Amino acid sequence: MVRFSTLLGAMYHKLGFRRLFWRVFIWFWLSSLLVMFATSFVIISKYSSEDYAKRYSNDVLTQAERIVWRYEQTLVPQANRSVKLKNWINKKENRRGHLMSMLIMDDTKQRIYHYRLNKVKPEDRLAHSVFGPSGRSYQVFSKKPQAPRIYTQLMYRFQSLQFVFIFFASALVSALLSWSITRPLNYLGSFSRHYANKQEVAPLPRALLTRGDEVADLAQDIEFMINKTHAAATAQQQLLHDVSHELRAPLARLQVSAALIEQKSPDSRHVKQIHNDCLRIDQLIQQILDYSKLEQGNPAQEPCNINALCEQVIKNMAVTYPDIPVTFKADNKAQLNGYPEALLQAFDNIIGNACKYSSDGQPVDISVNNRENSIVVSVRDHGPGVDESEMSKLLQPFYRAGNKMHTNGFGLGLSIALKAINKHHGELRISTPDGGGLLVEIILPRDTVA
Amino acid sequence: MKNEKYKILLVDDDETLCALLSEFLQEEGFEVETLHSGNAATERLLQSDEFDTVVLDIMMPGMSGLDVLRNVRAKRQVPILMLTGRGDDIDRIVGLEMGADDYLGKPCNPRELSARIKAIIRRTENSLANGAPGKAIVHTLLHGIELDTGTRTAVVNNNILPLTSAEFNALSLLMERAGQTITKQDMTQEVLNRPLEAYDRAMDVHISRIRQKLSSEGINDVIKSIRGVGYQMLTEQQPAQSDD
Repeated sequence: MVRFSTLLGAMYHKLGFRRLFWRVFIWFWLSSLLVMFATSFVIISKYSSEDYAKRYSNDVLTQAERIVWRYEQTLVPQANRSVKLKNWINKKENRRGHLMSMLIMDDTKQRIYHYRLNKVKPEDRLAHSVFGPSGRSYQVFSKKPQAPRIYTQLMYRFQSLQFVFIFFASALVSALLSWSITRPLNYLGSFSRHYANKQEVAPLPRALLTRGDEVADLAQDIEFMINKTHAAATAQQQLLHDVSHELRAPLARLQVSAALIEQKSPDSRHVKQIHNDCLRIDQLIQQILDYSKLEQGNPAQEPCNINALCEQVIKNMAVTYPDIPVTFKADNKAQLNGYPEALLQAFDNIIGNACKYSSDGQPVDISVNNRENSIVVSVRDHGPGVDESEMSKLLQPFYRAGNKMHTNGFGLGLSIALKAINKHHGELRISTPDGGGLLVEIILPRDTVA
Repeated sequence: MKNEKYKILLVDDDETLCALLSEFLQEEGFEVETLHSGNAATERLLQSDEFDTVVLDIMMPGMSGLDVLRNVRAKRQVPILMLTGRGDDIDRIVGLEMGADDYLGKPCNPRELSARIKAIIRRTENSLANGAPGKAIVHTLLHGIELDTGTRTAVVNNNILPLTSAEFNALSLLMERAGQTITKQDMTQEVLNRPLEAYDRAMDVHISRIRQKLSSEGINDVIKSIRGVGYQMLTEQQPAQSDD
């Protein structure tokens, strides 16, 4: 029993019985079956019972009349009269077991026939009178007709092919109903999921919008909402794009102006400061653009070779940080479907951080490991590391370890990396390993479900 | 080096920036003309051969820098330096594929721009002054490619390969040191006269264009990519194979 219930439970979850389809289907089916049972019950108990009583009385009277007729015609001797009459009836009716319980007495109260009525209490008896061919009247007692139990009757009826047909027909109708309710809902669900993943607006089918029912209302609302969201997202992207472009134009002019001053007084440290800050503003604009770009939906996932992406980043680090030795341990099968641009950005920011916080000659160790369901990229530096208390804040935009403002960088790097990793449903873990430094692990699930 | 000033065409829709930059470049010793639209630049470049270098902004309203590049490159071999937005990798690669000589991220330090222009001019200068002093004219024949550093032509099957100056320099460097691996750093320095940058795709695109042009003449797999290091031209004794 326990095993059976766990089996049911497993089925419940596996087949998704929580789904609306099954709920509508099962409830509608059960209730239609219930209605049919109830109707049958009422019909059988009311009409069939009356019918049965009438039929029973008729049968009793017919048999009694026959017995009386035989009795008068042949003048059966008193001894064994009942038995002889029974035998005759059996022969006549040509089937056994059709003898009905009854007691027949003539007008002098003399028993002329008796079959199994002794055990029937007087209040359960019915009295009839019949007339023989001679015109004599006889009294006949029989059992009050008792309809067979209702379920026996029901079972008798429902074992029929009709019932099997009804059973399956109602299942079919319920399934159709359930399907007609859940199908547009499923469609709407996949429609909005499609938008969330791809950020492409496709029109909803007209048939769905003009059904005139609640589903059509829902479809219209979803369409409205998606259009609104899309407009807002597009406007935001446009704004960021325009702002960054507009910010860069004056920045470019500022740089040239500074360079013009520099031409006239070549050793001005103020001009150098202006150049440095221009560079910083430019980098900041770029990072904000990168960050917002990750918000946009990517049209399609591509196969990404994690080793190749890491190698590309490492090669570029060698240009930017020629004095930091980088070790790399590749794993041959590190391949997954994802967004290579985003991953490249994540690796670039994390490996770049590791190089930035390493002093000359201290190595940065990078390794790619294939696990059962995921690929783990570990980046370990031997720099100053991060306080335990600051770990959680590291991922906030514009946060910098040690809360040192105005140092190199903006604190956006890890946020960008995290965003890119989240896009792959991955995980970013930061820890301080034994021996100092910082260990950053990027865990990317192999099956990225979009 | 010629005695008169080098003439530069500066194309950017930001007029103030153009005015400032031309002031700066004039101070650096260039003669500068500025134009503010893609159409005007295309027209000017197709009718005149007088510019030594074109500095072309890619992001312009209307006719973009890439359109200008496509129209001009079909008819003129004038060196073109693209100004691209930072992070616009696709623009850079497309621009180089279309025959731009080099790119520079914008906004940039004008001194960097001036250095790039000088690098491009030095490169083309070598090609104009046949037999520049101190450098001997070299004729090389390898894999059926006949290279002449005097006329700066590469001939295959009696056809002159249509190479840009950067491509010619890269091919001649590879042939000169056939059998040796040349790092991307060295190649960028020697071919483009500038140091390699992070995420610098210029050399890769130039090499890929040389390969395409050789391949259209039936010469395949003579330039080998050495992963993570650079490139190598195979000698005729080496088996022709490539790992990319």
